[in-house]
Amino acid sequence: MASSTGIRTPWQVTRSVWFALFMREAVSRTMADRFGWFWMLFEPIAFTLIMVAIRTFIRGDRFIVGADFVPWLIVGLLGFFLVRSGMMEAMGAIQANKALLAYRQVTPVDPVLVRNAVDTLLRTVVLGVFVAGGLLIDIDLFPDQFYLAAFGWLGLWLLGLGAGLITSVAGTLIPEVARIIRMLNLPLLIISGVIFPLQVMPRSLLEWLLYNPIPHGLEYLRLGFFESYQMVDGISLLYFWLFVLGFLALGLVLHIRYAAELQAR
Amino acid sequence: MIEIDHVYKRYRRQPGGGWVLRDINLTIPQGVSVGLVGRNGAGKSTLLRIIGGIDQPTRGQVRRHCRVSWPIGMAGDFKGSMTGRQNVKFVARIHGTSDAEVQAIIDRVEAFAELGEAFNRPISTYSSGMRSRLSFGMSLAFEFDVYLSDEATAVGDRQFKRKAAQAFKDRVGQASLIMVSHAEGILRELCDAGLYLEDGIAYWYDDVHDAIAAYHAATEGGSGEQGETQAAARDE
Repeated sequence: MASSTGIRTPWQVTRSVWFALFMREAVSRTMADRFGWFWMLFEPIAFTLIMVAIRTFIRGDRFIVGADFVPWLIVGLLGFFLVRSGMMEAMGAIQANKALLAYRQVTPVDPVLVRNAVDTLLRTVVLGVFVAGGLLIDIDLFPDQFYLAAFGWLGLWLLGLGAGLITSVAGTLIPEVARIIRMLNLPLLIISGVIFPLQVMPRSLLEWLLYNPIPHGLEYLRLGFFESYQMVDGISLLYFWLFVLGFLALGLVLHIRYAAELQAR
Repeated sequence: MIEIDHVYKRYRRQPGGGWVLRDINLTIPQGVSVGLVGRNGAGKSTLLRIIGGIDQPTRGQVRRHCRVSWPIGMAGDFKGSMTGRQNVKFVARIHGTSDAEVQAIIDRVEAFAELGEAFNRPISTYSSGMRSRLSFGMSLAFEFDVYLSDEATAVGDRQFKRKAAQAFKDRVGQASLIMVSHAEGILRELCDAGLYLEDGIAYWYDDVHDAIAAYHAATEGGSGEQGETQAAARDE
């Protein structure tokens, strides 16, 4: 208890709620089943490796200039998953922690933010595992321009967080929206230039595909990893960050506007 | 002190869409325990939830100038995969407890809830009685200025019930209670003032006996109150 001196400031309350939720999420994830901590790391790693195996089997790496195919694919997959899980995991966050809203201190935005933080931390560790593994078996996975790579990773994280803030409100208030967003899962993977390079797309189609902010972020992340990488024409860092800031602002505004409705769910 | 400022409440999805609470406007002074009485559906629980900040009023607002608990005995807030101990730790952290105090709170809950070994087992293995004992023990482990209670003393077996009532009594000196109950004996024992709710309107009585008397007068001779009379008789 915050001693008998009385009432805590809103920031103190929020900070202790975040810490408590973070520990709860971390403990319950590692305790959920046997070797929980192992599967937490192994699952995304295995999934990435399976995708790599399938894609190298189909081949089609000739269109990528300035980077090896396998590292190119791994960086793209990890970056994409960071955005996607930010968007998808957030949707269930409020519903899963509904009972906690009975504590006045917990607001609907808290579980969304904390779940995203736990997830991002995990995925950053996974990225680290891949980079370290790449060093060991002599695959060029170490970022050539470290700060650019870190900046790209940060941008993709914030894009996923912003999208997650929006989907958590929309998907909780309107369940149909959650279904539709889940359906977008696979198409988004294909049109974001994660497993097929966008360079092979016809110019007329590419113009449309680049309205999607995800490839903009991914290409910059790849540039950070592979110095001489040739990005797709039309990639814009400004366009990407406008989306990031727009999503974050819209998501937070939605959470403020619909706080009472989310709580009543 | 809790100020309830012109509070209205209406549930949108409710058929009929009528007001559950209409223009509740009162101040509960520091250290005064209040018993809420009224027939089923009069809005007692809704008012308690609004005071606790779990529900938002449709109009008006509630200002809390002290530390208010969550409703005691509220079920369903535990994570099944985590142990009783871990769940208590979580709630302690939400309330901004420092690390040293967390352990003290855990010890207090462990002693009060009498769960024994089960305290270190996942909540999903608990019976409903064990759950409510844990949640009751948790509420009392924190030092709030005002405790909210919604029929809380009705949980658990006989022995635990007596212990819970005793724990309430011990706290009355240091903290106050806002209590919804049909057990009039407990209300008379623990509360100073009374609030009688009828059709969403609240009537304040400085003496809880008067509130209960008003409630009786209003329901006297009316049919369809058997369920409540029985419940009251059983608990007394």
